Amino acid sequence: MTLSGLLLLADSRLPSGGHGHSGGVEALVDRGLLRTEGDLALFLDGRVRTGGRVPAAASAAACARAGVQESHVRAGAGGGSPGPDWGRWDAAVSARLPSAAARAASRAQGSALLRTVGRTWPTPAVDALRALPRVHHPLVLGAAAAAAGGTPLQAAALALHHLVGGACTAAVRLLGLDPIAVAALAAAAGRLAEPVAVEATRIAMLAVIADDPAGLPADGSPLFDVLAQLHHTSEATLFAS
Amino acid sequence: MGRGARAGPARVSGGLTATAALSVDRCAGRQRIRWTHAWPIVLRPTGDDRVHLVHGAGGPLGGDVLSLAVDVGAGAELEVRSAGATLVQPGPAGERARWDTVVTVGPGAWLGWAPQAVIVSDGAAFDTSLRMELAAGARAAVREIVVLGRLGGRGGRYRSELTVTLGCETLLAHAVLLDGDDAALSGPGGSAGARAVGTMVVVGAGAGRDRSGESPGVRWAWTGLEGPGAMLMAVGAPGPVTALLDAASADLAAGRVAADRVAADLVDADRVAADRVGADRVAADRAQASGIRHP
Repeated sequence: MTLSGLLLLADSRLPSGGHGHSGGVEALVDRGLLRTEGDLALFLDGRVRTGGRVPAAASAAACARAGVQESHVRAGAGGGSPGPDWGRWDAAVSARLPSAAARAASRAQGSALLRTVGRTWPTPAVDALRALPRVHHPLVLGAAAAAAGGTPLQAAALALHHLVGGACTAAVRLLGLDPIAVAALAAAAGRLAEPVAVEATRIAMLAVIADDPAGLPADGSPLFDVLAQLHHTSEATLFAS
Repeated sequence: MGRGARAGPARVSGGLTATAALSVDRCAGRQRIRWTHAWPIVLRPTGDDRVHLVHGAGGPLGGDVLSLAVDVGAGAELEVRSAGATLVQPGPAGERARWDTVVTVGPGAWLGWAPQAVIVSDGAAFDTSLRMELAAGARAAVREIVVLGRLGGRGGRYRSELTVTLGCETLLAHAVLLDGDDAALSGPGGSAGARAVGTMVVVGAGAGRDRSGESPGVRWAWTGLEGPGAMLMAVGAPGPVTALLDAASADLAAGRVAADRVAADLVDADRVAADRVGADRVAADRAQASGIRHP
């Protein structure tokens, strides 16, 4: 159950809305700031180490919180228990995404994934997410990972896997890069992402134990945010973000 | 905390450790500013509602651990400026310099925080944090400009954490890591070769229009935060980024004066926003005039 569920969550073919987003790559390509495989490798390295820490930690935290709730339910204590207080954690992700366009992209992908996950793994934690008017992608991913039997570390790794995979796919489509060379870049970026996932999970667990999302990492990138806003106002783009 | 009291410098592992404090309160329509110096942080009141920060030791140098606490009492107004750019230089043993600031702004109070740029010299490392805690009904404009390296340099390592809370809600948590010596952080997933980053956060009435633009030397965007605030980010060459932030500051001040004239609690958000568009044009023209090429 665990492995098949996690493989499904890692699969870009799972309907999740991710195909419509480039993770900031298209705005860079449009401006000539990302042209080559070497540029893509640097981009992935920079994103994974900075902005990637936020979805990684948020996904790990959501997984841990959802897991606690599932165990309450299994222990028979969850009959009338309210869902995890997702609202505060969702607001914490918003506070870490200054660009309104980046927040909209995160929520669009959150909604898309939630439609799938609500059918695939309709656990109480996932249902509680559906009660929110809108929800950020990493929280859905983390709750889904918990429902699939995954750990917070696996949830963090999934968030970074999608960050890398989305950017690589977009770069191939926009620049016509060699898909085999890009696959090798993705594998290398995945290795760089492993210690980032471990550290993000450590920080996330401290925040969950303290029941305070203020402890989540807040790394951003001003250029990423500026370009997200500029891209949002551009006409004729292939990707929504 | 006495008026103008002094604390002597303390040395820890080769660097300076200093904690300074500044507060302003309004009583019977009069403002009173109090401060505690702590070398090398020197505070100079330059008006009823204005204080200049002066860095007294040609630093910060690696190993320095500096902190500043600022309190703006209910209904008070404070403008904080700096007497010059802050130049961060490497310490003797490669240690990082640290500067932490905590600011509280009371109900109905205003803080304008606009020091000049922080320049991180090649080989230097600077960790800085600014935590703003605003009471409901408080307003503030906070700006930070960082420049990687002196002219011709690539710049050292800069890490900042900006946190803005309004009441009990966190409006913004934003950490930035820049390093002119790190290919990935100065690459397309980081600053893409730009040497300057400017940030301005406006909290309170009149904030929240999304506008953006690109001109030679600077790419910038205003974005609404999730709550009563907006943020301007500008990335590019030092001159155009500074010009853009200066124009935004001036425009905001003009907007405030206009709003105060009408009624302190009835800000015409549309007019403030329209005024800002004009200032952006000015900034873009200035950036163009400076002739600095694209980052």
